[in-house]
Amino acid sequence: MTEPAYTVVSDSETAGAEKSSSAFPEIAIGIDIGSSQCSLAVWNGSEVEVLRNTRNEKIMQSYVSFKEEVPTGGVSSQLAHEHEMLSGAAIFNIKRLIGRVDTDPVVHASKSLPFLVQTLDIGVRPFMAALVNNVWRSTTPEEVLAIFLVELRAMAEVQLKRPVTNVVLTIPASFSRFQLTRIERSCAMAGLHVLRLMPEPTAVALLYAQQQQEAVHENMGSGNEKIALIFNLGAGYCDVAVTATAGGVSQIKSLAGGSVGGEDILQNTMRYLLPNYDSLFSNHGVDEIKSSALLRVATQNAIHNLSSQTSVKIDVDLGNGMKISKVVNREEFETVNRKVFEKCEILIRRCLHDAKVEVDDLSDVILVGGCSNIPKVRNLLMNECKKEELYRGMNALEAPVCGAALEGAVASGISDPFGNLDLLTIQATPLSIGIRADGDNFVPIILRNTAMPARRDMVFTTGHDNQTEALIVVYEGDEAEIKENHLLGYFKISGIPPSPKGVPEINVCMDIDVANVLRVLVGVMRPGNQQPVTPLIEVRMPTVDDGHVWCAEALQKTYGSTLDLITLQQNTALL
Amino acid sequence: MYCDALVSGSTLLFSLSSKHTLLSLQRSTPNHYLGLSETRLFGSTRTTRAAINDGSVKPVSEMTLYELLGIPQTVTLPEIKQAYKELARKFHPDVSPPHLVEEYTQRFIEVQEAYETLSDPRRRAMYDRDMARGLRLAFSARKMCKYDEEIEDRSEWKSRWQNQLSELKRRSMYKDARKDLSWAAQVRRQRNESSVES
Repeated sequence: MTEPAYTVVSDSETAGAEKSSSAFPEIAIGIDIGSSQCSLAVWNGSEVEVLRNTRNEKIMQSYVSFKEEVPTGGVSSQLAHEHEMLSGAAIFNIKRLIGRVDTDPVVHASKSLPFLVQTLDIGVRPFMAALVNNVWRSTTPEEVLAIFLVELRAMAEVQLKRPVTNVVLTIPASFSRFQLTRIERSCAMAGLHVLRLMPEPTAVALLYAQQQQEAVHENMGSGNEKIALIFNLGAGYCDVAVTATAGGVSQIKSLAGGSVGGEDILQNTMRYLLPNYDSLFSNHGVDEIKSSALLRVATQNAIHNLSSQTSVKIDVDLGNGMKISKVVNREEFETVNRKVFEKCEILIRRCLHDAKVEVDDLSDVILVGGCSNIPKVRNLLMNECKKEELYRGMNALEAPVCGAALEGAVASGISDPFGNLDLLTIQATPLSIGIRADGDNFVPIILRNTAMPARRDMVFTTGHDNQTEALIVVYEGDEAEIKENHLLGYFKISGIPPSPKGVPEINVCMDIDVANVLRVLVGVMRPGNQQPVTPLIEVRMPTVDDGHVWCAEALQKTYGSTLDLITLQQNTALL
Repeated sequence: MYCDALVSGSTLLFSLSSKHTLLSLQRSTPNHYLGLSETRLFGSTRTTRAAINDGSVKPVSEMTLYELLGIPQTVTLPEIKQAYKELARKFHPDVSPPHLVEEYTQRFIEVQEAYETLSDPRRRAMYDRDMARGLRLAFSARKMCKYDEEIEDRSEWKSRWQNQLSELKRRSMYKDARKDLSWAAQVRRQRNESSVES
């Protein structure tokens, strides 16, 4: 067995390296870490193979237990019983917690989980801990994910009989760049190098592109461009993508995502069964954890059964005289979770709108993810897309990891003599990136759903007479309210020649490379002859770690509007 | 290695953004900002070394969007899409030869922008009209977003979307919202059709 090795790579994180130029490039493996389940796949030279663990499982549970001296995860260890994961000693749903601060509603929703999630509501990372021998032992989301990744890496190395360092990971489309750096940090802790972080539905889109390409080769498909909508509802996140596919190229036309998923459905249903659920379990006593685990397992089973039955009877003794005996039918279940389904519908519409695609243009509608068996999910998707049926050619649980493995092979520079790897994904930015300007406004420079790699620039000017310095404050998001967006970093540009306001030209350029690395370049230009006055400043973002809420407030408090920028209306040379 | 690429990449931003420097491509002179003409610095309009394959020496900055995609002005939308995908397969950094990644990335961004204008019937019609009026519509002149109205478009959508959201929250009936959307879709289609005709 390989020793689980923690090697922390440099501070510059890991992304950004290009494909290796050696004669035998290492084929990157594909990993799909879900909030509740995970899997691992690799291109084996002729096709994608989903690897199995020692218990012959392809789909493993995502959790790490701190019960033993050496923490163990769902890849290597076997749970004696489902309740063991819910004893407080195991941490799961880590993808819902990583890179979030304690003011985030998703973190608050995690406080009812059996392990400890503490929030102080001041915009810092939440405190989390596992219960071991009646002691709450603290850990971090990055550490938990790293332990889990080390197990996955060991499993892959044993089976592939070679060292594994390069990976392609699937991620939710709604993840901010800050969250991506946390994922990269975990990978670095596990000695893994991230070749690509791929939004889940875009991995599915690549698999779809390959399937269409195969159909063309077998003369079954037309070879014309096909447009597909991919909808992924997992335990923690909902993602939608629209892809246009032809000749093995998957062009992502739009992405939309939100932190809503099976966990919300589960919690809503638990609260429906036990209305005072939150107050009962808020103290995390040993008995309380036990009762909440019983309720959680019973509810989970009921939801599964409701996918095939129209009603289900729940009979569970929670101890301490608490008993639940209730019949729940499918209609009630759908009413309880109405908001979750509405959010899904909104994401689908937004994605279609952004792609400038009408439902009639859709050749296929693909449903994947752990919630894909829920009848309401299928119905709402078919309804929104006005389709009688959904695409059948994919395994709903394995599709993302297979796509990630394909991307791993393509991005590693592997080619296949039969043309099965003549594939390409043209990714799109899921969120807009811009700066604070024109007062307290967010001015996007790279809009969401811009094809990557991308480079865009915009010219700004000063807001005050004789202003010689300006603050460049970079945000990511799509909210009009700047505070609602995510602060990526900030720096000051100085040496602006004193002149009346509105005269100096400050050019802000944003560059995203193929590995999704963002760089911001800023230069002060001499109006008229366009030469930079001072050396440029180039910053790789994000630079802000924790406490992004604080930083923005502190900047505002210290500088107010004194270093503000205003967008400069450009006149084209042409007109 | 990556760092090197970036340094010379940002040099590119400067030394290549003008026609004057085209003939003497000097990537290794970072502090040498030569004769920058009307083209904006940093613009997505840096000039790379002409169409790489077609034997012509015409610099990208002087190519029309059609020339950039290597297609005649008469092509249909499916042909534009096909040309775009073929060029993407060539220039996208995931599939380009390692020593050409930097140069091809630049080409990819240019091809992408040409495609975005030409694949939108309304924007293509505007571009064609200007070309017919004899304006020299080189890639570099395109720069200012005469043909992109994305920002407006999206903020309009955003407010509509938020209205929908509150609507949904209030009534949890999505029939109305859907009616809204299909109305918007109709308007969009009408707009597209009329711009194709014009």
